[in-house]
Amino acid sequence: MIKVIDLHKYFGDLEVLKGINTEIKKGEVVCVIGPSGSGKSTFLRCLNLLEIPTKGEIIINGVSLTDNLKNLDELRKNVGMVFQQFNLFPHMKVIDNITLAPIKVLKMKKEDAVSKAMELLAKVGLTDKAYEYPSRLSGGQKQRVAIARAMAMNPDIMLFDEPTSALDPEMVGEVLEVIRDLAYEGMTMVIVTHEMGFAREVSDRILFMDEGIIYEEGKPYEIFNNPQRSRTKEFLSKVL
Amino acid sequence: MYLVDGWIISIEVTVFAALLGIVIGLLLAIVKFSRKPPFAQFADWYISIIRGTPVVVQLTIIYYVILADVNLPRTIVASIAFGINSGAYVAEIIRSGIQAVDKGQTEAGRSLGLSEGKTMRYIIIPQAIKNILPALGNEFIVLLKETSVSGYIALNDLTKGGTLIRSVTYDAFTPLLTVAYIYFLMTAMLSAALSKFERRLRSSD
Ligand SMILES: Nc1ncnc2c1ncn2[C@@H]1O[C@H](COP(=O)(O)OP(=O)(O)OP(=O)(O)O)[C@@H](O)[C@H]1O
Ligand SMILES: [Mg+2]
Repeated sequence: MIKVIDLHKYFGDLEVLKGINTEIKKGEVVCVIGPSGSGKSTFLRCLNLLEIPTKGEIIINGVSLTDNLKNLDELRKNVGMVFQQFNLFPHMKVIDNITLAPIKVLKMKKEDAVSKAMELLAKVGLTDKAYEYPSRLSGGQKQRVAIARAMAMNPDIMLFDEPTSALDPEMVGEVLEVIRDLAYEGMTMVIVTHEMGFAREVSDRILFMDEGIIYEEGKPYEIFNNPQRSRTKEFLSKVL
Repeated sequence: MYLVDGWIISIEVTVFAALLGIVIGLLLAIVKFSRKPPFAQFADWYISIIRGTPVVVQLTIIYYVILADVNLPRTIVASIAFGINSGAYVAEIIRSGIQAVDKGQTEAGRSLGLSEGKTMRYIIIPQAIKNILPALGNEFIVLLKETSVSGYIALNDLTKGGTLIRSVTYDAFTPLLTVAYIYFLMTAMLSAALSKFERRLRSSD
């Protein structure tokens, strides 16, 4: 479903991604872990071209993103993204946050978009907040709305960049719960996270990134119980 | 009555200049954001020249040099000059109001598949307006006070009215303090209206 070939990204002279190669299959849940500054966010942001790769190729559903930089919007609507800082639109009610893109991009009828949004809100347990402004919600609720908003576009794949890192500890669980549900429904997901327990539980594969490359990858039990390479071991000994 | 006539002229110049300033400022801001090189370059020059020279100098250049051979009422010339001046500041206010909106908002919009234009229209501008309107209000309070140099092109505005009375009556105290008081009343009223308006804007989020 997604194929990444020799992906490089420079910020000025700084080479942040130094040749990433990987493939993500339909329905697969991949967690990306690694030290701060290793390029996890940059990698994720390249997958929906919020960052334009300097070199290399990204192919989603057989279409090369990097060859189609003119049709970015077309490609982006199939890739949902959830940010660490939620990035809800503060001037819109929850329901309008969710229906904006379906109405303006997919040209859905308003009532269809609203009923779809209500379904999604029910799924994330926030039906009663539909007509609130984001400022009235807790962090955990905001992030659940953000997930519903991304899902409203019916994306083929969802990207999460540290979805729980900005949350108070007692709210982490409710957000992970929602992501876990998506995993069970077969959503294809790439999740950058520092929640090792969660990564181990939901993912089909772990990518350990260090210094701009995928340093080691494997099934969760392989990576967590029996890491092969030195820096993976070192990192895990610090975080586990 | 010098003061009443002058007061009306000051208000006329301020209002016309403010309207012209908004139009010019909007155009400059759009041109700057379009990133089309020759136009964006022009907007940059315009803004730095206007901001880098005193408004009195701009006013006299427009009256005595650029429009020297055109027979326009001085009120109009002053309105044009102050409007051209204000436009540069309005453009900067719009630009910084837009840039003050968190970058994450644009990213969220684009990641949902909204185009650059739609992201601007539905997400950025509505939030930027809340930064822009109060700053615009301030700009027009400044503008009102700046029109007091209109006397340099022999326009009998409020300030000039005070000066005229002083030279006729040989009393400086009363006319000049009255002039100051009138300006103060006007700006105080505008400020009060503005902060009320700001509170309304803020309460909506
Ligand atoms: N827009 C940018 N301009 C310049 N440098 C950047 C930019 N974005 C990221 N970087 C740099 O790229 C490197 C990788 O950043 P990235 O955010 O991808 O790391 P990360 O693995 O997500 O780290 P963290 O765990 O702290 O989120 C860092 O050195 C960072 O300073
Ligand atoms: Mg990051």
